[in-house]
Amino acid sequence: MSDMLIKMKVNGVEREVLIDAEDRLLDVLRDQFGFKSPKEGCGTGDCGLCTVMMDGKPILSCITPAFQARGREIVTLEGLNDDPLMKRIETSFRDHHAAQCGYCTPAMEIMGYNLLKNVKKPSKDEVKEAISGTLCRCTGYYDIVDAVYDLGGNE
Amino acid sequence: MSVLAEDYILDLQKRAERGELIYIGQSLKRIDDLEKVLGSPVYTNDLIPKNTLYAKLVLSRYPHAWIRSIKVSKATSYPGIRTVLTYMDVPGINESAAIVPDRPLFAREKVRSTGDIIAAVVAEKESRAIEARDLVEVEYDPIKPVFDPMEALSSDAPKIHENGNIAKHIRVAKGDVEKGFNDADLIVENTFRTQFQDAVPMETETAFAIPKDNDRILVIGSMQSPHNTQAGVAKVLGWPLERVEVIQAVTGGAFGPKSDETPIDVASIAAIGALKTGKPVLMSMSRKESMIAHTKRHASVIKHKTGVKSDGRLTASKVEIYLDGGAYASLGVLVIVRATFHANGPYEIPNVLNDGYKVYTNHTYAGSFRGFGAPQAIFAAESQMDEIARKLGIDPLDLRLMNMLRPGKRTSTGQLMDDSCGLPECVDAVVKSSDYRRKVAEYSSQNGKVRRGIGMAILHHGNALGPEGNDYAYVHLSVDKRGTVHLGTGLTEYGSGAISGIAQIASSVLGIPVDYFTIDRPDTDRHKESGPTVASRVTAVGGNAAREAALKLRERINAVASKLLACSPSKVKVVDGYAFSEDDPKKTVSWEEIVKEAFDANIELNVVGYYMAPRCIWDESTGLGSPYNQYTFGAAIAEVEVDTETGIYRVLNYHVAFDVGRAINPKNVIGQIYGGTVQGLGYGMMEELVHINGQVVNPNLKDYYIPTSLDIPDKLVPIIVEKRGAMGVYGAKVIAEPPIVLPAPAIRNAILNATGGSVNELPVTSEKVYKSIEH
Repeated sequence: MSDMLIKMKVNGVEREVLIDAEDRLLDVLRDQFGFKSPKEGCGTGDCGLCTVMMDGKPILSCITPAFQARGREIVTLEGLNDDPLMKRIETSFRDHHAAQCGYCTPAMEIMGYNLLKNVKKPSKDEVKEAISGTLCRCTGYYDIVDAVYDLGGNE
Repeated sequence: MSVLAEDYILDLQKRAERGELIYIGQSLKRIDDLEKVLGSPVYTNDLIPKNTLYAKLVLSRYPHAWIRSIKVSKATSYPGIRTVLTYMDVPGINESAAIVPDRPLFAREKVRSTGDIIAAVVAEKESRAIEARDLVEVEYDPIKPVFDPMEALSSDAPKIHENGNIAKHIRVAKGDVEKGFNDADLIVENTFRTQFQDAVPMETETAFAIPKDNDRILVIGSMQSPHNTQAGVAKVLGWPLERVEVIQAVTGGAFGPKSDETPIDVASIAAIGALKTGKPVLMSMSRKESMIAHTKRHASVIKHKTGVKSDGRLTASKVEIYLDGGAYASLGVLVIVRATFHANGPYEIPNVLNDGYKVYTNHTYAGSFRGFGAPQAIFAAESQMDEIARKLGIDPLDLRLMNMLRPGKRTSTGQLMDDSCGLPECVDAVVKSSDYRRKVAEYSSQNGKVRRGIGMAILHHGNALGPEGNDYAYVHLSVDKRGTVHLGTGLTEYGSGAISGIAQIASSVLGIPVDYFTIDRPDTDRHKESGPTVASRVTAVGGNAAREAALKLRERINAVASKLLACSPSKVKVVDGYAFSEDDPKKTVSWEEIVKEAFDANIELNVVGYYMAPRCIWDESTGLGSPYNQYTFGAAIAEVEVDTETGIYRVLNYHVAFDVGRAINPKNVIGQIYGGTVQGLGYGMMEELVHINGQVVNPNLKDYYIPTSLDIPDKLVPIIVEKRGAMGVYGAKVIAEPPIVLPAPAIRNAILNATGGSVNELPVTSEKVYKSIEH
């Protein structure tokens, strides 16, 4: 339970933070830095709602110890809100009514963003695959799949 | 005055002809989703102050036991622990019960399930609270438990509550069921079983409390019914209502459990902790706590006995429903009412005898969950119809067409169906959309190991509260100086878009785009009590209150506009935020100009609209009468492909039609059909909360499967039918719940069609399908 001081880059800014060895990255992002878009849906790595990007790849921040972020770059939805692709995703989610209760929305948008960064024109099956680790209980996924799919191939 | 282009003025005039319906039926965007897509901090756990303490629960180890002692001293002295709360800390009444006062907030002398709350540990850090809760020492004297609802009914079963194990019995009796059986050519009897389903709202139950102004407390939380939470917290604190303020934060899914007793638990524990420590306290359930402690969909045993003529005409239906209620009554005493009223399915049957029981067991308790008894009842009723069709050698569709509700027919309670019964149109729509007749013919001669099948299910769904309570709502509208309309109500939004929908109704009456609206957070200090946000009632009932409020506001607006336009108020039309006189449409004033004039003239633009649905009249002893003001109707056809050697199957496509009366916002209606259908697919195919000896063994999302994006059918075809209802605003009927009901029986019947195997127990797993096939 010894405190440690670590550095990480979060949403473009170098930050220093005092953590316990047991602290979860999710709690550090939410409680220390105030980035509330990653959510806790299960705390066991099963629902995907705590998804953030670490060095450009999506990870589950509820099962990632905070010390693992030492020297890494973390990006949450707050850090992507000015990104042109993320703006288009957000608009598309609104156009498709893809956010109902909204609790899974940040994670879904990050997974959609990660897909569209890597695959310019994904098929519907590729979209379904990309978001399959992120649970939604409101939409039945159809509007979320369409919101991402419809952006494929559009620059 | 505003200067507008000529063709735009012509357009305004044309649209003015639709009057207050101008924006009704349009798939407008929701007005509450910007903060959601941006990931803004709007949910309960995002809003806690810096110095908040964390509470974690100690749940009962035994499903049925006397409590000999509870010792908290070791936990209290653990580092970082501020206090440990038990029944001794409850200043008011130690009870958290929706209707029947059978459930303590903190267990005192007895535990009746492993979801019973013994204590709450309050700490500076959540991890400390989790560590310290193992240090709360509880001595138990176990009592013999009972888990099977049928066993619980026997006279020598352990008594869970003093008054015995029947929490509620209700009967529907029409005609003479024995005579009906004598008239029949064939009697068909089957027993169906359904499982506990967990709602899994992605956000668990959570609330925090802050002591305020010395003698008040503020609770902010995730819930469906803030005024119920206010009443619950006030009772536990022993305070008058006025000293408790409850605000509903943006809520991350609800589906029923958040209208039942758990939101009161978390709010009350946070409040007691906050008063005891003088600090804000967050009581946020972990997924595990939530899945053990909140209400589930009741497991059930449902026995059907049906009499039928050889041509397919139903003569009698006798149904016994036994809901496994778990340890407490909850809203489940109303769930059994809805289940029993809908138990025979949407058919006219001359002789009916339904007995519904909600039975106490030592399982964790069941209660409110989307569908509210209909999913169990309709699964059994619609499975029974296909069993009858098979025995008679009649196509299941033809059996339904012969017996189903239509205008002029009567339900099991004797309620007459008028022209608003759109069931025939729903059936017709899905039969065409799925190409049912051709596929039935095609699939009748399959030999291979992989076979396809097609099956259907239909429903009626009594709207809104009906027998469940007074069906009223208030909606507040107030216009600020900039012209923004603030819509406030004690009804809540938790994902469906219904509050956006009632804003759309108000915007339509006022003739201003819905972008002019903003939704205020439901707040018991500011908004009148509007009944619970349950039974899919916001649009139909709350929409009427929104319309009433908007009509009042329009009167004031038109009076101001008439002065500016120098015309009579009756001549004023407002479209798209511009007012003009019928007689001189070229002269317009904008909404903002009217609002400014109203403020300058000190005319108050605050109104409250109220609506109360007509009282439903029915006889409690026979169940006969008209328990609901109107019904939603629906029909679904599923097509499956089954590997008969393994039982593995998939749903290829799903066609579903609902008569929603009038779709205020069709895109929102379809959103409910999509979401409800997939939650219903989960119920039908995979979800089961499993108790073993009273312990929930899969209270997590690794072992409790809900559908992922890879589990949904490639093709889901939603169809909207509109036959205006008598009660709902502009003829609207409810839609949030009915879609969850149909997938389980439709899929089950499609598998029967494919393999000849009957699966009479949910969920329809591959293992059960395999065992149902003759090999």
